[in-house]
Amino acid sequence: MPALSGFLWLISYWLIGEVVIYFTALPISSGVIGMLLLCVTLAMRGRVSSSIAAAAQPLIALLAMLIMPGVVGVFFIIGELAGQWSAILIALLLGTLLSVVTTLWLLKRLIKPTHVR
Amino acid sequence: MSADTSLLTLLTTTPLFAVGLTLTAYLIGNGVFQRLKRPSWLPAILIAALLLAGALALMGLPYATYHQGATWLTVLLGPATVALGMPLYQQLPRIVELWRPLAICLPIAATLAAFYSLAIAWLLGSSDTILASLAAKSVTAPIAIGITEQLGGTVALLMGALLITGVATIPCVSLTTRFLRIDDERLIGFALGLNGHAIGTVRAFEISPTAGAFASLGMSLTGIFTAMLLPLAWRLIGMGS
Repeated sequence: MPALSGFLWLISYWLIGEVVIYFTALPISSGVIGMLLLCVTLAMRGRVSSSIAAAAQPLIALLAMLIMPGVVGVFFIIGELAGQWSAILIALLLGTLLSVVTTLWLLKRLIKPTHVR
Repeated sequence: MSADTSLLTLLTTTPLFAVGLTLTAYLIGNGVFQRLKRPSWLPAILIAALLLAGALALMGLPYATYHQGATWLTVLLGPATVALGMPLYQQLPRIVELWRPLAICLPIAATLAAFYSLAIAWLLGSSDTILASLAAKSVTAPIAIGITEQLGGTVALLMGALLITGVATIPCVSLTTRFLRIDDERLIGFALGLNGHAIGTVRAFEISPTAGAFASLGMSLTGIFTAMLLPLAWRLIGMGS
């Protein structure tokens, strides 16, 4: 079962992340620490083992499904935040449009010149 | 009516009902999405979330009961975040190739992604709790949940913010690329992942594998950067605990 041992690696890195946070009080989540550790480990070994790929690929593909149970919660707090929603929606929609424009404009200015030469 | 209630109680004694419900909504959401020819304004996750919320309301299943069962799925977010280390490693050569523009763009764009919405919400008079819940709106869920808990926000509102931001990013990117005449898939992918986290990344993989790779890169880097920046920024301006 390569996927199973790969999954154990992922769990272990997450748990190591928890331990690191416990001792250092870093303001990062244990998943992020595990992600960085995994990336460093893979870079040192120079390749992705088939067991880690077998576990990581399906998990990444399911990312959208894994956030669904939480996302649905928003429909059940609609009443609690009555009167706040227009501010929240305007902030999110307008903020997202502005940041998308800024990101793409920045990237275009930074990357195009080297491309055209 | 009481027979229905007791049946529902029986079914929800194990987490399997909640897990099955989530899988059903996800699969139907994906099916409808394919049937509608993948509209950019209606991603599969939005269809699935609406279906799931509707099903819970119809059955009269309390969200808390459902969520308790669905923990069996959400606990996988931990290892799924760790798994993002793999695409990050696989894209290391590309990061190195474009490291300068990306290194300049990322901190600015990731900071602004949080800042614009926070500033607008603050100007419109939102409470500290709402601001703390919106701050991580462009960050992939497993990282964003951790950030929001640290800032003292509501995770349920954060998840809604993630959904709205992710869904809004897709048409925003296609409009802006048309306006700025950008057709480089690396740029489009990076912008989708940076602003629209997992939902934008799923979209980028539909455009092309290159766009998808740069989207996961943008998503991972934004997640890491924001996870370090926001708690510090919050402490500096003296909000939360």
